[in-house]
Amino acid sequence: MTIANLSRRTLLQAGGTLLASTALPTVTLAQAGSRLIVAADSEPKNLNPAIVASNGVFFIASKVVEPLAEASFDGKDGLAPRLATSWEGSADGKSVTFKLREGVKWHDGKPFTSADVAYSALAIWKPLQNLGRLVFANLEAVETPDATTAVFKFSKPTPLQLIRNALPVVSSVVPKHLYEGTDIATNPANVKLVGTGPFKLTEYKPGEYYRLTKNADYWGKGEPKLDEVIFRVLPDRAGAGAALEAEEIQLAAFSAVPLTDLARISKVPGIKVISKGYEALTYQLVVEINHRRKELADVKVRQAIAHAIDRKFVVDTIFLGYAAASTGLVPKNAPEFYDASVPTYAFDTAKANALLDEAGYKKGANGTRFSLKLRPAPYFNETKQFGDYLRQALAAVGIDAQLINADSAAHQKAVYTDHDFDLAIGPPVFRGDPAISTTILVRSGIPAGVPFSNQGGYENKELDGIIAKAAETVDTAARTELYKQFQKIVATDLPLINVAEWGFITVARDTVQNVSNNPRWAVSNWSDTALKS
Amino acid sequence: MRLLRDLVRTPEGAIGFGILAALVLIALLAPALSPGDPLRIAGRALLPPFIDPAFPLGTDRLGRDVLAGIIHGTRTSLAVGLAAALAAIAIGLCLGLTAGFAGGLIDEGLMRVVDAFQIVPSFLLALAFVSVIGASVPVVVMAIALGAWADPARLTRAQVLSIRERDYVASARVIGMHPAEIAFREILPNALPPVLALSAIIVAAAILTEAALSFLGLGDPNVVTWGSMIAEGRNILRSSPSLSIFPGVALVVTVVGVYLFSEGLTKALAGRRLEP
Repeated sequence: MTIANLSRRTLLQAGGTLLASTALPTVTLAQAGSRLIVAADSEPKNLNPAIVASNGVFFIASKVVEPLAEASFDGKDGLAPRLATSWEGSADGKSVTFKLREGVKWHDGKPFTSADVAYSALAIWKPLQNLGRLVFANLEAVETPDATTAVFKFSKPTPLQLIRNALPVVSSVVPKHLYEGTDIATNPANVKLVGTGPFKLTEYKPGEYYRLTKNADYWGKGEPKLDEVIFRVLPDRAGAGAALEAEEIQLAAFSAVPLTDLARISKVPGIKVISKGYEALTYQLVVEINHRRKELADVKVRQAIAHAIDRKFVVDTIFLGYAAASTGLVPKNAPEFYDASVPTYAFDTAKANALLDEAGYKKGANGTRFSLKLRPAPYFNETKQFGDYLRQALAAVGIDAQLINADSAAHQKAVYTDHDFDLAIGPPVFRGDPAISTTILVRSGIPAGVPFSNQGGYENKELDGIIAKAAETVDTAARTELYKQFQKIVATDLPLINVAEWGFITVARDTVQNVSNNPRWAVSNWSDTALKS
Repeated sequence: MRLLRDLVRTPEGAIGFGILAALVLIALLAPALSPGDPLRIAGRALLPPFIDPAFPLGTDRLGRDVLAGIIHGTRTSLAVGLAAALAAIAIGLCLGLTAGFAGGLIDEGLMRVVDAFQIVPSFLLALAFVSVIGASVPVVVMAIALGAWADPARLTRAQVLSIRERDYVASARVIGMHPAEIAFREILPNALPPVLALSAIIVAAAILTEAALSFLGLGDPNVVTWGSMIAEGRNILRSSPSLSIFPGVALVVTVVGVYLFSEGLTKALAGRRLEP
């Protein structure tokens, strides 16, 4: 209804509804019983998770477009089947066979078949997707012997372990019949998503909300349990807490409620604070180092910086306990790969000073050894606060760090393209397997301009060798062992310094059920999420 | 000196002068009042105010002393405010004088430039300038001056236009004084008072602009400013409101002080002109 045809009758009707809603609040609550309202803080331009595999996109799109498998706390290999029901690798590592679910329909009524999977893999995941480019680099062909079988053929051995760990993130399947023969990047379906998921994207009002409505034909029995999910755009982080208290929204994920507000809001009756459900998307607080700087090319200086950081302070004061101190490049909640026996750097200012003296950088008359440019990433409050802290921690060992703040675009250009930094603070994400988005942080030979990669000019032939070998090692145990070596070298040579790792916090009303029941919950399909009325 | 006496004779002037004098003293004595880097982590985080005598106003999220921040913030605020106003008035005076005195095409040209700067909201101009060039104290000063020089330029030009028709200017011309000499020795001193009265308002606006820029994270992160303190406190407004309130109060006191001072100055200047 537009303003133009707003007649007196509709006004009266609307007024009547308003009156009714104030007079009978219980009725409206019962009606809204199956509508979940969620805070969203960003509106991605391209909402297609097959192209943009990022959490901002998944948060909304994962309810509409499904992957082949989802992460799971108790499933085999840590996976729960979605569009694929089973997966099996060949002994030579050159093919993986997926059995697909039968009787699945796209939201427009067309049947889902192996052709859709083959098309998504070859036309989108491999050439266009930010993460798929790496994971499917050697994918040659996808054979479809029948409608429910897809066989991925690789030109070089590709470890099944990697494919498995990557499935929840890289394998969002989109409909071939809408994309084939069009310009994929500008296809309208990138915004008006068509998927197989439990919800259909029915309405999007820029700056206001996304409306997701129940897919009555969903393959899951009795799912979805909600009739509607509304993502309300609330860009102001301070607003989410107040909106929850006022019951304007029922759920705020991705720490939309600031950490500092959690102690207070957890005491509000009817609201629960949940720190589970982000285990497969661990963010890491990392000091990126520009090895082109003469001082920082010296491993003693890097060790001194590692010793100058009080990780306990960072965890307790900056993250208010909602984080863990890091030992290395692989986080603790990736137990498959995590190696605790790497060298660690305890907080020890005296030792840091001694190392710097040893490296030949004595304190000058003003108590300073040398000056550095420090660029904290602006994406999170915590990265900015850690920047303030690191400046003070370095001052204590005689290094003068000058902070430079910039917005996201300027920060990425300065660090990842122009290399105009000495130290930078970044929040890379560990996505279940080191080969997906972690080895790129230390591998050499990456062209300038690739964000969240090694742009510090670090080069270590031994490390590059291990990364290359692990990428082609099919045997799971041998591959895991290589990544343990990888962690040891990184922790010894410190191409970058890992400080802490954290997941996000979900705050929800008590009425929301089945929250955080898988390790990627916020970006999973919410088919079993329900509201208790 | 007589101007000062006239100034403190008005109640606004006296209060404003008192506040400003106190602030200037705090700014000058900041290193003695709270030695060391005000941004250093000094104690337990989020200590409430009025509890620990070592931190009378408490500490912030990282354990930095709020009182030290406010004392050193006075320095930044006043320095940026004064420097920006000085730069704006210097540019404004020079351009206004040139335009008014030269007249003709030069006048037309310069005034169109002034128009252009007056059309763009000065805060947006400062925002764009700082985000392109990068945040540091000199850049912030330039950014604020850039949006503030147009008003004094217009005022100066108007003054000059009226003064240059006066008899004493004509006689200076007749006795063969160099035009530059006429401009700077005969016209400028007489065009100055109203522009000076405007200057206090520019200082107040500059302090607020600087705070707003810092609030948006576009201030110099290596010095403490009230704006950045408010911005950091804003995230925990519900649980520790004092972190935003104290720097906010400091900001209000300063701006009110400058305004009162400017009121007094205007009155004192007006009174002096009425005297025979």
